[in-house]
Amino acid sequence: MMASKNIVCPVCGASCDDIQVELSGDKINVKNACKMGNAKFQEIVSSHRISQPLLREKGIVRPCPWEEAIERTAEILADASRPLIFMGSETSCEAMEVGLHLAEFLGAAVDSNSTVCHGPTAMGIQEAGRVGATAGQSKSRGDLAVYWGSNPLESMPRHMSRYAVYPRGYWTQRGRFDRTIITVDPRKSITAENSDLHIQLRPNTDYELLSALLVLLHGKRPHPSVEKVTGVSISQMEEMLELMKSCNFGSIYVGLGIASSYGKHRNAEAAFNLVKELNARTKFVIGALRGHCNVAGFNQIASYLYGFPFGLDFSRGYPRYNPGEYTAVDLLRERDVDCALIVSADLVSHFPAACAEYLAEIPVACIDIAPCPTTMISDVVLPGVIDAMECDGTFYRLDDVPIYFQPFTKSPFSNTKSNADTMKQIFEKVKALKR
Amino acid sequence: MQAMLNTGSTIEEGRLAKGGSKLTEEYTQECAVCEMNPVDFQAMGSPQRVLISAMDGRHSVSVYAYAADSVERGQIFMPRAIWANVVVDPETFSTGSPLYKGSPVRVEATFEDVLNAGDLVLKLYARGR
Repeated sequence: MMASKNIVCPVCGASCDDIQVELSGDKINVKNACKMGNAKFQEIVSSHRISQPLLREKGIVRPCPWEEAIERTAEILADASRPLIFMGSETSCEAMEVGLHLAEFLGAAVDSNSTVCHGPTAMGIQEAGRVGATAGQSKSRGDLAVYWGSNPLESMPRHMSRYAVYPRGYWTQRGRFDRTIITVDPRKSITAENSDLHIQLRPNTDYELLSALLVLLHGKRPHPSVEKVTGVSISQMEEMLELMKSCNFGSIYVGLGIASSYGKHRNAEAAFNLVKELNARTKFVIGALRGHCNVAGFNQIASYLYGFPFGLDFSRGYPRYNPGEYTAVDLLRERDVDCALIVSADLVSHFPAACAEYLAEIPVACIDIAPCPTTMISDVVLPGVIDAMECDGTFYRLDDVPIYFQPFTKSPFSNTKSNADTMKQIFEKVKALKR
Repeated sequence: MQAMLNTGSTIEEGRLAKGGSKLTEEYTQECAVCEMNPVDFQAMGSPQRVLISAMDGRHSVSVYAYAADSVERGQIFMPRAIWANVVVDPETFSTGSPLYKGSPVRVEATFEDVLNAGDLVLKLYARGR
């Protein structure tokens, strides 16, 4: 039996770094992980793990040698006139870096889960700037947390216990008893049930509610129609704002309730502006609750390599950025690419139907660890290596802090050490074909 | 009825998705689901299954229906998974992110079978394969 401590969990943006595992033959015992984390760690010994490359020819799927799968993937990319490379979030920054360079070489579009996750939030940061803090600062100093459009008890189960609600901090010696929790959500989620105040706004009215809070913060009274629009009474808004103004250190954790609903980046911009203004009264910060493990990583890597956080297009030889045009959902919906390489993501499940339909029509290669709708429609399936379990690398945590992870076992495949290694092999083959 | 679709995580959906179980019956039972306000649910005749359709009528999907106090009238909640995304509005309003929350949809009682994720892919998407 092999026991390992301080393993980083590769599931959500919390990047929990206190996982303990005991690996023994075909059994793995996991401590400290949440339900989702434990399920992912069990993948290392699961019977459904994709263990060999698969190739689809004339509708028939067959196992194939590793080199043939790499060659076919490279051919798909090299033969296309407008490829899409999609770097999913459940892999390392090192793999994402290769994907970005490959896109530049091919003149491809390259995008990531970060676009459909908190892309609008990133755009809001570009509009308004962000007052931020590391998760450790919020944990140590925060005495008020606002979950706006997020439900961490189901999407990031250990966020409350590691970073925001239950730990003892500088102002909060009694942990949860000294902290105030506000949840803004149209649904009475379990996070809302466990909060001190639940603001149950109507769907798609985040912008109006944020604007009304800003008006109140400026000492004015919002127009009464805002109650009908948002479904929230002005007295409730005042109660919420009073809690926010009177805390020592407040943190807003925005979720997809802001980024995915109507208003999009304007919702995020309004939230960032509210936090800026709150800093005239007390210390207040805001950050995104990033659902997938390295979804923040793509924003960081793409920004420092090419200047833009997501949705990059290299078709003119240099990076261009125009959300809504070069972003994966829009490119697929408008049928504006002619092949796709999908790494560690299940786009057929998680993109709208119009996009999934088109993906099923064009040549697709993917890297994944388990069968899913995307592997079903792919022409080439390359087995994925599980980051943080089978190889080392870097994730960016939800607060944009880089976390270096080390594995407790090694890749089960003789042909590749990691997804970054697989991507490098594809890149080399593409270069050879294009020479 | 017309409703506002809210999609989001559930812990069991997360457990099954991260555990590589998207093609299993358990995932279908957990995720091919529409939660409705009890008043809306009863007004529809407390159906076992409902057909959720996009407003343009191009896509629809049959899922299991449940009453849930956590959902307000005129709204429905579906776990984020392939069934919900069949009817999510693909418009991104120049952001790259579709309307995973707040998509208007039509909801009606149905006798149509609920398909598992694999069969749904074969029926809706993989015709050419």
